[in-house]
Amino acid sequence: MGYQINEEKVFNSGHAACPGCSEALAMRYIVNTLGPDTIGVVPPSCIAIISGPQPLSSMRMPVYQTTLEASAASATGIARALKAKGNDHTKVVAIAGDGGTYDIGFQSLSSAAERNEDFIYICLDNEGYMNTGAQKSSSTPYLAYTASTPAGKPTPKKNLAEIMAAHRIPYMATATTGYPEDLARKVAKAKGIRGLRFIVVLTPCLDGWGLADNAGPKVSRLAVETGVFPLYEVENGEHYTLNYGSKGTPINQYLSLQKRYRHLNQAQIEEIQIEVDNNWQRLHRKFST
Amino acid sequence: MKETFKEVPSIWTTGWTDILNTGTWRSAIPIYQKRLAPCHSACPVDGEIPTWIMLARKQLYHEAWSALVVNNPFPAVTGRICHHPCEGACNRGEYDGAVAINALEQYIGDLALSEGWTLPHPTIELDQRIAVIGGGPAGLSCAYQLRQLGYKVTIFESRPELGGVLRYGIPRYRLSKEIWDGELKRLLALGIEIKVNHLVKANDLSSLERDYSAVFLALGAQNSKTLPQFSVDDLKVFKGYEFLERVNRGEVPQLGQEVVVIGGGSVALDVAGTARRLGSQVKVLALEAMDSLPAQPDELTESLEEGVEIYAGAMVQKVNLGPERISLDCIKVTLDEAFPAGVLRPIPRSGTEFNVSATSVILAVGQETELTGWDSVINIGQSLVKVGADLATSRPGVFAGGDVTPAERFVSTAIGQGKKASSSIDRYLTEQTSDSQSLSKTENSEDKVAYQEINMFYFPEKARERKGLVPVEQRLQNFDEVRISFNFEQTQSQSERCFSCGNCVECDNCFYFCPDMAVVKDSSLAEHYSILDQYCKGCGSCVQECPRGAVVLKEETGR
Repeated sequence: MGYQINEEKVFNSGHAACPGCSEALAMRYIVNTLGPDTIGVVPPSCIAIISGPQPLSSMRMPVYQTTLEASAASATGIARALKAKGNDHTKVVAIAGDGGTYDIGFQSLSSAAERNEDFIYICLDNEGYMNTGAQKSSSTPYLAYTASTPAGKPTPKKNLAEIMAAHRIPYMATATTGYPEDLARKVAKAKGIRGLRFIVVLTPCLDGWGLADNAGPKVSRLAVETGVFPLYEVENGEHYTLNYGSKGTPINQYLSLQKRYRHLNQAQIEEIQIEVDNNWQRLHRKFST
Repeated sequence: MKETFKEVPSIWTTGWTDILNTGTWRSAIPIYQKRLAPCHSACPVDGEIPTWIMLARKQLYHEAWSALVVNNPFPAVTGRICHHPCEGACNRGEYDGAVAINALEQYIGDLALSEGWTLPHPTIELDQRIAVIGGGPAGLSCAYQLRQLGYKVTIFESRPELGGVLRYGIPRYRLSKEIWDGELKRLLALGIEIKVNHLVKANDLSSLERDYSAVFLALGAQNSKTLPQFSVDDLKVFKGYEFLERVNRGEVPQLGQEVVVIGGGSVALDVAGTARRLGSQVKVLALEAMDSLPAQPDELTESLEEGVEIYAGAMVQKVNLGPERISLDCIKVTLDEAFPAGVLRPIPRSGTEFNVSATSVILAVGQETELTGWDSVINIGQSLVKVGADLATSRPGVFAGGDVTPAERFVSTAIGQGKKASSSIDRYLTEQTSDSQSLSKTENSEDKVAYQEINMFYFPEKARERKGLVPVEQRLQNFDEVRISFNFEQTQSQSERCFSCGNCVECDNCFYFCPDMAVVKDSSLAEHYSILDQYCKGCGSCVQECPRGAVVLKEETGR
């Protein structure tokens, strides 16, 4: 019974993440699975904050802080430099937020994916620009409150997982912090593959979503069990594997824990339920083929 | 002149964040705490149920049995006949059915008998002698606990064999003689002096007090109550407990073809089942409605399966005694709800009169104590021995428990009282102040683990199993046990259903869900983990993610 996760101690205590931060928990399993023979690339984001106030670092590995639009390009350069030096063991990982991935860093990521560059790209997706005061990103879900969508976001969340799978990269996976063993397994799997590997990790932002300090893992699991964020893997854009999917849990159980949804009326909740059900059914068809 | 350039270092990092004490942000800190499980709280013997089920889950059966017999020397008995309030309290009951605690206890109890496991012998021998009057569940339990503490114990029993209700009252098909004999033999191997066929009367007390340092009165309540309508001198009228005792001694009372049992409790149904096995048709007349009979629900189900007809909400108004038969004029009744629980005030419903005819009638309407003369030596009230919370009577050094005192009349309650009396006697003799273990349970009852504290994500639904039952036709052939014990596979899979409320099982969830790596595994600690005070930010994720409520968040003040 219980989880069994092998960790190498790369991620340090004393980092500056908020109490209960899901992103810090995700970073623990990402860098502790990749190990010290890794070079990190981090754009401006909470991840940059958690990486440590200069000159201290929370990660016992080299980390390069790049610009917001250039994570994938920077990782490309480092990976190619390592190859040119004959180093075939050091891994390169870009760890970026959803703003730096879905929006500002999307061009460089898409083109790196198209060229199948040899690095791992991990998006810690908290569905908004949480580091700068919770503005909306293209990852913010339909009707969620942010500082820049005070009446709720009028458009749905961009489906980046499917966009990245459509690049036909060797490995694409979704993960979330409520399932740490699954997250660590996916990072380990990505580590053993060459080419561009992409993992999008749903990391509930306690402050930006309006959650209790202890609610990160719980809301993360509800995202999965309601079908909002199914956990699955796609190899070469074709082979789909479902890890954890919808259990048919009503969407209200997920929404009611989050203050960013507290303005919703019953009709809007039902609208979200229909959207989630449709998305889940559309995705579910891909597992049977 | 040579131009100087400012050297830019290739690495800016000079150290790690673990020199930063983020623990200073905190206003609350997690505390690992063994907390009271609802089953443990409900258990009449104060049994640490989550502990022994956890050991059984690990297949450490001998250790599980050892944990059981700390509080109760007869797990194979209670695994059969306990009214198991633990299962009624079980947090899993609100989810997918309570854990089958009673059946698990039976499996472990039976295993101990078949493997010949022995009870631990006392580690010290004391000179003081204690007299236990009455060799039923309360007396034997008290004798056992006192013996464990090193006291010399003598049991005085008026009947030829020890066991009280376990030997003479419970039908063999609920508790076989072999099982009882096995449990008793193992207990007596601890070295307890027995005086059977030895009735202690009230005026023997002062001489006992000269020879013994303390006395425990566990006289029980074996006198069947009667009803004024019935003449107990008639050979066709039987008293319930006496009837069961005669059958348990091997007699075959002549009942005739049609038997009417009066009463609605467990004894009434035991009488009915016994009469069925002796070949009679059986009707049970009870004042209570069918859904509020005092008997246990599974006992009622078994009786109905065995063809016992239950006339619930019925009262006998007039008895017509004939030479061969008894004719009963009955009427349907409802019970006056204005009266407190336990007091029955039937209201006849006119026009519902009916007649029942029988070859014999067995009265099972409760039992009374036999305390003639005892009121001159100790305080008696309402035919029961008056005791304090520590089971001390009005006479110093004399304690009482079980059915002779105002307690619920269950075997397990009597066993629990025997244990409680033993610690009171020990305290009395060692003149300690009263901070007994049994009181600590009451103090902690506020802190019982609630259903809401169980993290259901970690407990996928898993169906509860029940003990099997021998087919009805086979049951009525003899007095063999009717309930079939769990097998090994059932025991394993059912013990896995226990939430282990408030009891850490080292699942490591608290360790894995800490974003600050502030939880450290340390198997040398009783609580298995420690918190790194300098890093813990007090988010409470470890508390929330503990599946079983074994970590609590404690606010810190004055930092």
